[in-house]
Parts: sequence; C-alpha cells; structure tokens
Amino acid sequence: MSEAVSRRVSRGGTRWLVPLAWSLVLLSACVGMPWLEGLFRLVEPDSRSVIYARADFLTLLGRHLLVVAVAALAAVIIGVGAAVAVTRCAGRDFLPLVAQLASIGQTFPPVAVLALAVPVLGFGTLPIIVALLLYGLLPIVRNTLAGLEGVDPGVREAARGMGMTGGQLLRQVELPLAAPVILAGIRTSVTINIATAAIGATVGASNLGDPIISGIVNGNTAYVLQGALLIGLLALTVDSVFARLQPAAA
Amino acid sequence: MIELIGVSKRFGETAAVDDISLRVERGELCVLVGTSGCGKSTTLRMINRLIEHSDGEIHIDGQQIRDFREETLRRRMGYAIQSTGLFPHWTVARNIGLVPRLLKWPPARIRERVEELMAMLGLSMDEFAGKYPRQLSGGQAQRVGVARALAADPDILLMDEPFGALDPITRETLQQELRELQARLQKTIVFVTHDMDEALRLADRLVVMDGGRIRQQGHPLELLREPADAFVESLLGGEDRGLKEAALLTVGERMMPLSPRLLPRERISRHATLREALSMMLWRHAERLAVVDDEDMPVGELSLRQLVGAKHHE
Ligand SMILES: Nc1ncnc2c1ncn2[C@@H]1O[C@H](COP(=O)(O)OP(=O)(O)OP(=O)(O)O)[C@@H](O)[C@H]1O
Ligand SMILES: [Mg+2]
Repeated sequence: MSEAVSRRVSRGGTRWLVPLAWSLVLLSACVGMPWLEGLFRLVEPDSRSVIYARADFLTLLGRHLLVVAVAALAAVIIGVGAAVAVTRCAGRDFLPLVAQLASIGQTFPPVAVLALAVPVLGFGTLPIIVALLLYGLLPIVRNTLAGLEGVDPGVREAARGMGMTGGQLLRQVELPLAAPVILAGIRTSVTINIATAAIGATVGASNLGDPIISGIVNGNTAYVLQGALLIGLLALTVDSVFARLQPAAA
Repeated sequence: MIELIGVSKRFGETAAVDDISLRVERGELCVLVGTSGCGKSTTLRMINRLIEHSDGEIHIDGQQIRDFREETLRRRMGYAIQSTGLFPHWTVARNIGLVPRLLKWPPARIRERVEELMAMLGLSMDEFAGKYPRQLSGGQAQRVGVARALAADPDILLMDEPFGALDPITRETLQQELRELQARLQKTIVFVTHDMDEALRLADRLVVMDGGRIRQQGHPLELLREPADAFVESLLGGEDRGLKEAALLTVGERMMPLSPRLLPRERISRHATLREALSMMLWRHAERLAVVDDEDMPVGELSLRQLVGAKHHE
C-alpha cells in the first residue's frame, strides 16, 4: 500500500519535470537576458543597445500570460458553452450556424479584428483580448463538438434509458468522455494565441510583442530575436503543461 | 403490468409501429420477434419513453406513462441493450450501481447490491469489480449490462437483444438464469431477440411483428401449432417447427408408466425436452428410453411412438 502511494508520488513528481524545466528556462531567459549581450552583439554590431530595456522582461511576460489567459478563459466558456448548447435537443437547429461562425472567426485575421476593435474599445489590452478570443474560438468549438458527437450513441441511449437527466448525462458522461478532445482544442487555441498575442503591442497592449515591434520599427534585429525567443519558450512551457494534463498524450 | 392500446409511432410519413395492442401481465415474459426493421426496438423504447408514441395509449400498472416524469418512469424499469452502453470511464462496479446511485441509495446498500448482482451473473468481485468496460469480453460486458438493468430491482425489464454477442453456452446459461429469476421475482419482461430458439425457450407470450404490425401473439406452442399465416410459419422455423415444438415439451409429459417389460438401458431425465429424447434415440439407435427422476430412479419409459405423439399404443 505505502509502496504504491510512494510510487504514485514519485511518478507525479517526474510527470511535472518537463513543464518545470521549461518554466525554469523561460524564467532564467527573462532574468538573464542581459548576460547574453555578447551573443546579441554578434547580430547587431552597430546598434547602441542590443538588449531591449524599455520594460522589464518579467513584467512583459506576466502581461502576455494574463492577456492569453483571459482570452482563453473567455473562449473556453463561450466555446464549450456554445458547443454544448447546440448539441442539446433544443439547440440542434443552431449547430451548423455555430460551427460556421467559429470558422469565420478564425479566417478573420486578428490584425483586422484589432483594427476594427480599436475605434470601439480604444487602445490597450481590451482589443487584443477580443481578437484572441475570436481567433481562439474555433479549435475549442470544433473539438468540443467532435468530442460530444464522438460519445457512443449506445452509451447515451443507456444513460437516458436508465433515467439520467439531461444535466446528469452531460456532467457525468458526455463531458468526461469528451474531455481529452476538448482539452486538445484548448491546447491548440492557447498555443496559437501565445504567438498571436504579440500583435497586441501594435495597439499599446504591452507584452512580449513589444520588443518585436520595437525591433522592427527601429531596425534592431536583436530586439526581435529576444521577443521571439521568449514567446517561443512561453509557448513550449504552456504546451508541456497541457501535454501533462492530457491523459491520452501521457 | 404493461398495456399498449392502439399504439403507433410515425417518423415523418412512415409508420415504424402501426396500431399495435399488447398486454403483458405481471410476471409474464413477452418476447418480440420479427424481421429486421419491423419495429421491435421502437416498441420497446416507447415503453420507457426514449421515443414518444404518436398515437394510442401505454399504461404501466394501469397508469398512463405520460403521467410519470420521464426519469422516474425509467428508473423503475431495467433497460438492457445489445451494445450494452456501459460507461467506458466507469468501472464495472460503478456501472452496475448506476440506477441505485440515481435513486440515492446509501453507499453501503449500493455496494452490497452490486456484490449480490455480480455473484448472480457469475462475475467474480475480485476480478471484475475494478475493471473498465474495454477490458471485458463481449459476453462479460453483456452480463454487466444485464446486472446494471437489474440493479435497482425494477419490476419491469426491457431487454433489446441483450444476449446477442454471447456464445451459445453462456447464452443458454443466461437464458436459464433469466427464466429462474423471473419465476422467482415475478418480473414483467419485454424481450427482443432475433434468435427463434431463444424466443421459444423464454417466452410466455410470443409476439410476431412485421412491418410495424403484430401478425400474431400467444403462447409459443399455440403459434407453433396454429400459425396465423405463412409469414409466422416461416419465421417460426418452417420445416423445423416439429423440432422446435419438441424442444418446448418435456419427456415427463409424454412418458408411459413403467411396464413389466425389461427396462431399456438408455436413460433420460424426465425434465429433458422431447427434442433431446429424440436426439438420444437417433444417436443411440434406441426406440425406447428409460425415464429417470432427479435421483436417477426409473419412473417411466418413452417409446418413439409416444414421443412423436402417435394416437394409438403399440
Ligand atoms: N429515429 C428514427 N427516425 C426515423 N426512422 C426510424 C427511427 N428509428 C427507427 N426508425 C425506423 O423505424 C423502423 C423500425 O425500427 P426498429 O429499430 O424498431 O426496428 P427493429 O425491429 O428493432 O429492427 P432490428 O431487428 O434490426 O433491430 C425502421 O424502418 C427504422 O428505419
Ligand atoms: Mg432493434
């Protein structure tokens, strides 16, 4: 018994080793960027400064994460909610509409959404959250639909036939069975949006996109590389967390 | 008691079930047979309101099923289907305890009931309680499905080809168990099957359906002896009807008292079917069999003439 427990604990420990390692790399990259000055100097030998210093990298990372997290949370609530609603008896008629709306959301370039949102919502964080939300909706809606539709009709029939209510069926059977597929959708959505969030820097939402935009504007490739490096590391870290959460991928 | 009065179900223009009337008494086992697509499953699902009937009335113990809340109605009926519909993310024990949990039984009582049912269906607790459905064979999964249907001790059982995926031996064991269970607990059962031998063996009332209508219903022997039409006759086995009937009669019904003549060496139980007796005669090249009781004591004899029911004695 105690042996089993200790084995599970140690496995739990190693399970999180990869995400932990990536977070450490990410954090040290944020803090230790100045120490890589020599390296970036090779890329930009003529520039006055080669390490982006207008804001602290950790602060930018925090803002970046916050924007992505808020957008993802909203996308999950709206996306899963909509997909669940249109797979109930009462909402069936709206299934094609919702599936279509979600795909349109993704074909619409986030930059265009930003351009349209700024006059309404003003500069800052809000327009980028809206853009990310729309952009990230499709994978979540599509996967939730696929996950729910993928539940064996026999299982659904038995559940109803045994006297489960609609809510019990959803909470105890459909969502748990669809969970791995839904989680995969959220993973795709979040990973894409970590990269996409960078364009928020163009409308004054300061995040890890700042060094990239600033680098482009000032012709400083080193800045661009720093932003890209951190965004890439962030994406890898978050993705490794999802990889751990997903039973099928484990 | 289940009663259907002039019940129909239309999907769009076509009627899947067309004006059927059927009465299943308490403690009766009613078997629905018929060609594929004739409306057997639809009939079953109308009884637990998985499908709402378009016309007519369905009563449970004298009360219209529309007067019950759907969930309440279903929780007092067991429902077993061929595909089992076991929840893949739940263990066998949890699957079986589904309806008791929905009915909010205390956990100790649920556990006790699950153990009882697993024992009854020959599933060892140690081996199977913690397994997941994907780790079961088709037959084991169907047993779990039947156990789940029985869990809350419902007085009505609806079974849609519940033994479809079983090998003949397991199938026969389960049929036997179902019969005993039903005799003991007086369940009212509606059972759908494609297997005519199974239907004949189980049924108190056999219902032959075709194109959404009932062609004939009654005791299996009644249908075998006087099929209403050619369809019923061919569905019940055509040329094989004699053997099918023999499988429903026991040696005890046809045997003669012991005669002073020498007792034949071949023995058969009085509870065996006439079909088994005939098979033994063919196999052993014997025209006469000694009939024995449970203690293996001779109680009578059976000749080929008696077996076939010839009118005059030798
Ligand atoms: N939901 C539905 N919508 C439309 N038609 C249906 C529906 N369910 C069943 N049907 C039709 O109703 C008829 C009867 O179907 P049912 O499932 O009751 O047949 P069955 O006797 O159980 O057949 P099988 O022996 O193959 O299981 C079939 O023609 C079928 O196509
Ligand atoms: Mg059927």
